Amino acid sequence: MMMGFLTHSGFLIFLGLESGNIPITNVYESFISLIWCILFVYINLDYLYKLPSLDTFLVPVVTALSLWALTFDGGDLFLTVSLQNFWLIAHIIPIFIGYASFTISFSLSIMYLTQQRQLKHKLFGPLFTRLPSLEGIDRLMWKTISFGFPLLTLGLVFGTFWVKTQNILGEQWYLDYKVVLGLATWLIYAALLHMRLVASFHGTKIACLTIAGFCLVLFTFIGTFFMGTKHAFQKVSEQVHTEF
Amino acid sequence: MSILVVGLNHKSAPVEVREKIAFNATNIPTALSLFLHRYQTAESVILSTCNRVEMYASTMDGGVKTEDILSFFADFHKIALDEFSPYMYHYTDDRAVDHLFFVTASLDSMVLGESQILSQVKEAYTTASMEEATGKVMNQLFQQALNVAKIVHTRTAIGKKKVSISSVAVEFAEKIFQDFTGKMVLVVGAGEMCELLLKHLYEEGARTIVVANRTFERAQEIANAFQGQAIKYELLGEYLAKADIIISSTSAPHYVIHANQVKDAIRHRRGNPMFLLDIAVPRDIEPEIANIDNVYLYNIDDLQSVVSQNIDERTREVEKCRAIIEEEVEHFMARLEEMKIEPAITLLRNHFHTIGKEELCRLKPKLKSIDNGEWEQVVYTVERTINKLLHHPAKVAKQEAKNGGGYRYVEIIRKLFGIFHHTDQI
Repeated sequence: MMMGFLTHSGFLIFLGLESGNIPITNVYESFISLIWCILFVYINLDYLYKLPSLDTFLVPVVTALSLWALTFDGGDLFLTVSLQNFWLIAHIIPIFIGYASFTISFSLSIMYLTQQRQLKHKLFGPLFTRLPSLEGIDRLMWKTISFGFPLLTLGLVFGTFWVKTQNILGEQWYLDYKVVLGLATWLIYAALLHMRLVASFHGTKIACLTIAGFCLVLFTFIGTFFMGTKHAFQKVSEQVHTEF
Repeated sequence: MSILVVGLNHKSAPVEVREKIAFNATNIPTALSLFLHRYQTAESVILSTCNRVEMYASTMDGGVKTEDILSFFADFHKIALDEFSPYMYHYTDDRAVDHLFFVTASLDSMVLGESQILSQVKEAYTTASMEEATGKVMNQLFQQALNVAKIVHTRTAIGKKKVSISSVAVEFAEKIFQDFTGKMVLVVGAGEMCELLLKHLYEEGARTIVVANRTFERAQEIANAFQGQAIKYELLGEYLAKADIIISSTSAPHYVIHANQVKDAIRHRRGNPMFLLDIAVPRDIEPEIANIDNVYLYNIDDLQSVVSQNIDERTREVEKCRAIIEEEVEHFMARLEEMKIEPAITLLRNHFHTIGKEELCRLKPKLKSIDNGEWEQVVYTVERTINKLLHHPAKVAKQEAKNGGGYRYVEIIRKLFGIFHHTDQI
């Protein structure tokens, strides 16, 4: 995993040098950056909690995202002038790390449901022995969500400031698909935190809601691109390119 | 030089015979010193557990025989030989080594792969060593046996899977709860199995223990043993929602925990999982409970089936263990053969060095003008020449000894150079 992370870091640096900016100038680069964040969070998490078998569940997710990333055009490295400022980093970086954290919590949810299924259906194979306790997975799910949520909040707050001060999405910015979906994502994770923290909910429901949250994260991240919103990097780049 | 083991175990003898010749921590040192007094050149170790009594012995001259150990057992325990001798087994040399390795690796235990025997062998060896009953051979043998057991347990899965009902139950609970600190264990019924399970959970950190039983006094008895709390049987329903682990083993002919009770309990628990263990026959817990979300219910058959699977897995590992042991026995016997010819090689070296010294003594008076520095050079050259001459034959003899043929080589060399010495026993 560490070797993969280092290779990925090298590739990310290469992309950054090519574009002369942080590598999030198009969907392809954004995917690559997100995968780097996922690996970064995983390596730190593994170091802190020594959770066995998380890689078994995370590697397929990372592999799927990587393969998906390959389907996007990586050639468009053009960046609008308006994106090259402080707000870009302040908006994107916390959101990406937050998303990475949610990806880990998604993998943990799958792990939870797998272990739960094994316990319910009395399937005591090699995976049963290797997986940690339900309570342990549940605690870690909580930790990753409560780590990712403040970052998502921070990224959204900075994004709102950016939109308001530089008017890059027009007057009705709040009707932009990505803004609406971003808010929905924030709400679903806020609900999750509320359930855990205030209502003290645990178990299957939390795991299922975490999976739903991650699906929304993916849709917000990539789905809006196909919806013709201005809030999709490549579209903005193409638009400005055409203007030039 | 030979290694001998004489003993009996749970397979060869019934418990009434085993207990007759069993040793305990107090009389083992006495037995060892009496045996040493009787056979002064012997090395010995006594291994006495609830399943086996064995004596390992070795002498340079092969002076101790099976009959000697049997009569020692009879004399020490003051019982007639024929009362126990038909149940005894005895092995010599490689078969004795193989037996010890097999025993220490827990392949000869009642519960295959249990690690308790390893500490028992270690204790037996330490006692013998403290009594100075062990020597070069027994030290090497037992140290190697302990080492082999570790190799076997590391390289195979012989001891990995749990093979008792209570340990499998605790293993299940550990797959649900990260630890048992702060978890409430509710025990319904007060049978032996409940007590055993509680003991396991207590050892793993469970401290909040509640016992409910029809007979309140018995509930109190068990609760006190684990610093828990006894409750009236009628209050059982109230405690269901608070309990994380529920163990039920009553003799009731009907269910004592019902699905609607657990549904209510899990609602109060807001998805916090519950682990229910029904070890009663007929069952105490309504089976439909297993379908409730975040509730994990197991009965005695579930546990038994995992235990059987685990035993099968351990049994499948035996062949792998046997292969490791065979290899290790071969290595050990090769080292033993090497040890056997060491005195002969030392004698050979001494013989050559004596000749060298004699010749140097004869030469010195003839070299009157030689100074000390030059003389030291001469002595050094002679010794170096002898060592160089002997290096190869000694190496070959040691190598051949590993295959059991060293003695022949030593004999040839001795005949060639005319070396005979009464202390040279092989």
